[in-house]
Amino acid sequence: MAVQGSNANPVVRNFPKILTYIVLTLGAFVMVLPFIWMLLTSVKIDSEIFGDSLKWLPSQFDFQNYSNAFTQTNMGRLFANTVFVTAVSVFSQVILGSMAGYAFARLHFKGKNILFFSLLATMMVPFEVLIIPVFLFVRAFPLAGGNNLLGQGGTGLFNTYAGLIFPNLISVFSIFLFRQFYLRFPHEIEEAAIVDGCSRAGVFWRILLPNSRPVMATMALFAFLWSWNDFLWPLVVVKKDALKTLQLGLSLFNQEQGTQWAELMAASTMAVVPVIILYLVLQGFLTKGAVTSGID
Amino acid sequence: MNIVTQTPAVKQKKSLGQRLYKYYNSQAFVALLFLIIPVGLLIILKIYPIFYNLYLSFTRYELFEPPRFVGLRNYKWVFQNDVTRQSIWNTLLFTIEAVPLGTALALVVAKLLDENFYGKIMYRTLYYLPVISSIVVSAMIFRWIFNPQQGLLNYFLGFIGIPPQTWLSDPNLALLSLVMVTIWGSIGGNMIIFLAGLQDIPKEVLEAAKVDGANAFQRFIQITIPLLRPVILFVVVTFTISTFRNFGLIFLLTQGGPLNRTNTLVWEVYMSVFANLRLGRGAALSMVMLVMVFILTILSFRVIRERQG
Repeated sequence: MAVQGSNANPVVRNFPKILTYIVLTLGAFVMVLPFIWMLLTSVKIDSEIFGDSLKWLPSQFDFQNYSNAFTQTNMGRLFANTVFVTAVSVFSQVILGSMAGYAFARLHFKGKNILFFSLLATMMVPFEVLIIPVFLFVRAFPLAGGNNLLGQGGTGLFNTYAGLIFPNLISVFSIFLFRQFYLRFPHEIEEAAIVDGCSRAGVFWRILLPNSRPVMATMALFAFLWSWNDFLWPLVVVKKDALKTLQLGLSLFNQEQGTQWAELMAASTMAVVPVIILYLVLQGFLTKGAVTSGID
Repeated sequence: MNIVTQTPAVKQKKSLGQRLYKYYNSQAFVALLFLIIPVGLLIILKIYPIFYNLYLSFTRYELFEPPRFVGLRNYKWVFQNDVTRQSIWNTLLFTIEAVPLGTALALVVAKLLDENFYGKIMYRTLYYLPVISSIVVSAMIFRWIFNPQQGLLNYFLGFIGIPPQTWLSDPNLALLSLVMVTIWGSIGGNMIIFLAGLQDIPKEVLEAAKVDGANAFQRFIQITIPLLRPVILFVVVTFTISTFRNFGLIFLLTQGGPLNRTNTLVWEVYMSVFANLRLGRGAALSMVMLVMVFILTILSFRVIRERQG
């Protein structure tokens, strides 16, 4: 913008910048307004929600909606279930992804490229397409839920935590991300450790893994969002109330309550706020990680 | 997995322990050790299901009796039944309405955010908020916003003289409503990918164009977009796949209705399997979905490549 800056009037000179701000602010308003509206609705009393004219701000803050929503959805249980399922999924995706990523980036073995690219190709296949065979596999899991060795007779991992977690144990994306990271990792350190008598597995556990914190944080964030926000799989694999996840509970709350908008918005707020906080915290960590992503 | 172990070259006699260690420490063995669980899980979750699904699509299977081979009958049903034919059309319509506009908006936002200015990170976070919110939370909020009586959308449209609409129960507006939520929820994620792509564009090229007298709009159209083509391709393909997968919004907002106007393929898969217990039909529908994803991916690669050449 400096080239056309011969104009002395600052408003005219800065016009492109001002326009950028206006457009971006309008867009951001559209992005955020639904959340603001959720927050505002969640503390209103019914007469203000169903009034003839729309009222933006509540005349009084009614936090009763939050406690009602919390008890009616049994949110403590939903939270505990979701935290457990998410924690196991994130841990597993990070560890298994880093192990496989290391093997694909640093080790030589026959058929490596064919194997890697056929796994990569499955990234294009949406999970929803495979839900029938995966569901049948989980239901016919051997020696679980009353099944015999051949997976017959019972319900397998259907209606269990293991069934909820199972499809989230691994992601191709995680393998891909760690492989890219390890491909760029300096070879000298690894070679020096091997010369010093460290085993290959030791190189991974002691040198590569501790130094992959930035990519681990990135992957953990993705895995967290996928698992925490997952809806279709919990919907089909869990029917017991005690096993329901936050998203599932929230979706059913709506059906039972019909038009209890304030309580529904309160429940939604409680479901989304932890995610936003965690995102902001991890985002800080990620930007820091990008700066210090070298070797300590 | 074809893993060939490197046989240690035996030059002098080594103890059994040494030989075992050498084997244990060979690249092939460590690779086997590290890959057996992840690859095993992916075979169970991603590779075997493709083939089993293909098999199931040729059978009649109602869960409580074993699958029975019926040839192409399920596919015939998919292509001859009005409801499923409409679901294929709705899936395409949904993608056509959401992907081009959503991609363009994400690109524009990314371009505007690519400059250095005060508050950049805050803006980026605000645009990203819909992405971290779950589909269920988004659906709940928009169900309230679309509400015909107290909804925010009708309130705003009232200012420009548009009468209140029954968004989710109007056959002509239901799909459009879902498209709006989808675009709203997708801009942030696609924006991040575009921002990464924009960083890779050499600043010298843009500076040179500026010196030659190209204005910001010309630089964007004639330099940024052509250089960004591979990234645009990536966004279009992943966004398309994600609209194909969009089950949650339909389940929570329209249940495929009204008048089957929002019954996309993924919704019909769910209905055939988990509501009607017709697993063979569901498998055939999901194979059609898979083929559509495949064709669209290849087509987008083609389009981008031709334009480039």
